[in-house]
Formats: sequence, structure tokens, C-alpha cells
Amino acid sequence: MSNKAIKEYLSQLRKELSGSDKAIIRDALADAEEHLRTALESESQDPANAEVIQNIIETYGTPEEIADAYKAVEIYARPTLATSMAHQNGNVMTRFFGVYADPRAWGALLYMLISLLTGVIYFTWAVTGISLAIPFALFIFGLPFVVLFDLSIKGIGLLEGRIVEALLGVRMPRRSVFWKKDLSWMQRLKLQLLDKYSWLGLLYMLLQLVFGVLYFTVFVTLIAFSLAFMAIPIVQLVFGYPTIQIASGQYFIPDTLLPIAVLLGFMLLTSSLHLARQLGKLHGRYAKFMLVGEQ
Amino acid sequence: MVEQILNKKFQKELLSGITSLVLLGIMSQSEEPLYGYQITKLLEPVNDDEPIVKQGALYPVLRSLEKSGLLSSSVEPSVSGPPRRYYVITDAGRQTLIEWKSIWQEIKSFAETILEGEGNEQ
Repeated sequence: MSNKAIKEYLSQLRKELSGSDKAIIRDALADAEEHLRTALESESQDPANAEVIQNIIETYGTPEEIADAYKAVEIYARPTLATSMAHQNGNVMTRFFGVYADPRAWGALLYMLISLLTGVIYFTWAVTGISLAIPFALFIFGLPFVVLFDLSIKGIGLLEGRIVEALLGVRMPRRSVFWKKDLSWMQRLKLQLLDKYSWLGLLYMLLQLVFGVLYFTVFVTLIAFSLAFMAIPIVQLVFGYPTIQIASGQYFIPDTLLPIAVLLGFMLLTSSLHLARQLGKLHGRYAKFMLVGEQ
Repeated sequence: MVEQILNKKFQKELLSGITSLVLLGIMSQSEEPLYGYQITKLLEPVNDDEPIVKQGALYPVLRSLEKSGLLSSSVEPSVSGPPRRYYVITDAGRQTLIEWKSIWQEIKSFAETILEGEGNEQ
């Protein structure tokens, strides 16, 4: 009886919340179930009593009221990863391993990996643009070309800002800078050439290749090493391969040390996530400096 | 009927911030982590009055306080029933509570001064 009533309540609550963010629905259902079951357990010797459960549900609030409460809070909740301030408390161990639950660390790691791709694209675009702009400058159509190229840098900068905000959790602008409409190409060019952020944006695009290669290499290596360490027992014990093989020399790690190898791999993986998070923070700050005009 | 809706709306608007303040206050007074049901019990009215906040409406506020880093939480299995989420106040939460209390005092005395007339001012 009581189980049925709770299930019914939860399904009503789910219905009321339909259309809301999935995470909110999950939270709301988990909270309601925890509360109702706990209340039932502590308030009644007779869990089958329909009146008791009715009372509990009444003091908890109708599905409508509760759905409204979650929706009201949802408005203020920020959707990006910017608010992951949890795990600042706790002891060293929780802080160290809490990184696995930190969306920012994973976001930063993802950023490090895709920055190779974006870096290559930005670099190609920037170099092509520059090498076309210089010879074009001799001709009259060089002028609009430079202006358009500069606009493309701004556009890509905005896009990069969105990526940085989503993955690194650093607040970046959502709209491009306002441009006056009634300007001639010449005035526009002058304005853009004098704009510090045209040049910084271009520099950012060029440097992104360097950072991309660096980030990608470092993190792929770190992850590969961590996984390799963790896989040593399987490789040695199951497949009988040596851990290290140089020419004809085969080196095996003694069985007693195998758990240490796994632990080492695990620690390395965890540290890599910490490194990703820290680098992500730094890169976010750097991106903000390079791409965002001071208001 | 219209009056009732107006009252409800006014109460809701007033409560939206105060609930956070009260929850933070409760959490700062507690020595140990509390789970949702315990917190709602602590906030229960003394006599049989109609509760000001529905118990269920406290949970989203707890979640949002956690998201802002003022509370932190951990889920622990219970002997029977579903796992419980235990909340505990963070250092940032304690700092914020001090500030919120002074904001609350300011607003309260501002409203009281006006509503009671200046003659009753303390």
C-alpha cells in the first residue's frame, strides 16, 4: 500500500516536471523518495496505514507545489560547469579523488584533447588569411578582404569563447562587440587595425596550434601511461607478455609489485585529471585575456 | 479567492530568499551532517500551525545552496530504504551566513520602521 502510494506520488511529480531539465527531474524524484520513505519509516509503526502516508504526503507538498519549487530554483541555477565549487572541503583524500566527480576536470581534459583539432583549424585559417591579405593589399579588393578576415577572427574568437566557457567554466562573452553601421570600408579598416583585440585574436589563433599539440601530446601520453600501468597485471599474468621488451631482453615485474603498478597507474590518472583542471583554469584565464575586450 | 491567491503569491515571493537563510542557519547550528528529513523536522512549527514552507520545497533550496558551494553533501546508504543525502555547511557557507544575517537585519528593520511608524523605532 505505502509503496504504491509513494510510486504514484513520484510518477505524478515526474509528470508535473516534464519538460524541465533532466537533472532537475532526477534530483526532485530522489529527494521526494528519500523523504517519503524516511518519514514513513520513522513516523509509523504500521507502514500500511493509508492515513499516515496521506499525512506525510500532505506535509511534503503536492506534486504541483513541489514541481513549482524545483522549477523556481532551476531558473537561478547556472547551466554551465561554472559552479562546481564542491569538493573544496573535506580532507586530502576526498579532495584528491573528488576530482573524478568534478565536471570541470573532465571538461578541461576534453578541451585539452580537442584543442589539437581546433588549433589546426585556427592556425590554417589564420595563416591562409594573412598570406592572402598581404598580396591582396596591393589591390583595391584587398581592403574588404582584410575587413572580412578580421571579422572572421572575431567570429572564431567568439566561438572559441563558447567552447572555453562550456568546457573550462570561465565566463566568456556571448555576443560580438557592437559595430557602428554607417562606416566606409576605409574607416572600418582603420578601426579594426587599431583594435588591440584584432591582433590578440589573430595571435591566439596562431598560438592555439602550439598549445593544442602540447596539450594533446601531454594528456594522451599521461592517459596512455596510466592505463598501461593499470594493465600490467593483465598483460603479464593473463597473456604472459613482458612489461618491458628491449631487443631480446624481456623484463617482468615481480608479482608482488603488481598491485603497486596498478596503484601507480591509478594515481597517475588522478593526477592527470588534476593537471587538466589546473591547466584548464590557466588556459581559461589566458583565453579571456586574449579574446575579451575590456568593457 | 483572489485575496488568497494574492496572499500565496506574496508569501512565496517573501520566502524565496528567507528559506535559504533559514536553512543555512540551521546547518550552521548543527554539529554533524543532516539529511533532508532531519532538517524538515527541525523546521517543523512548534504547535500544530500550518507549516510556512512545504517540506518538499526545502529540498530544491538545499540543492541550490550546494550548487553555490555553501553546503556540501554526500550520499550514504541507510539501513533500510533509499540512500540518504547528508548535508553539511562549508566554510564559504558560514562566511555567507554572516553576511546574509546582516542583510536580513537591515531589510527587517527597514520594513519594520516603515510599517510600525517611526514612533516605535527602537
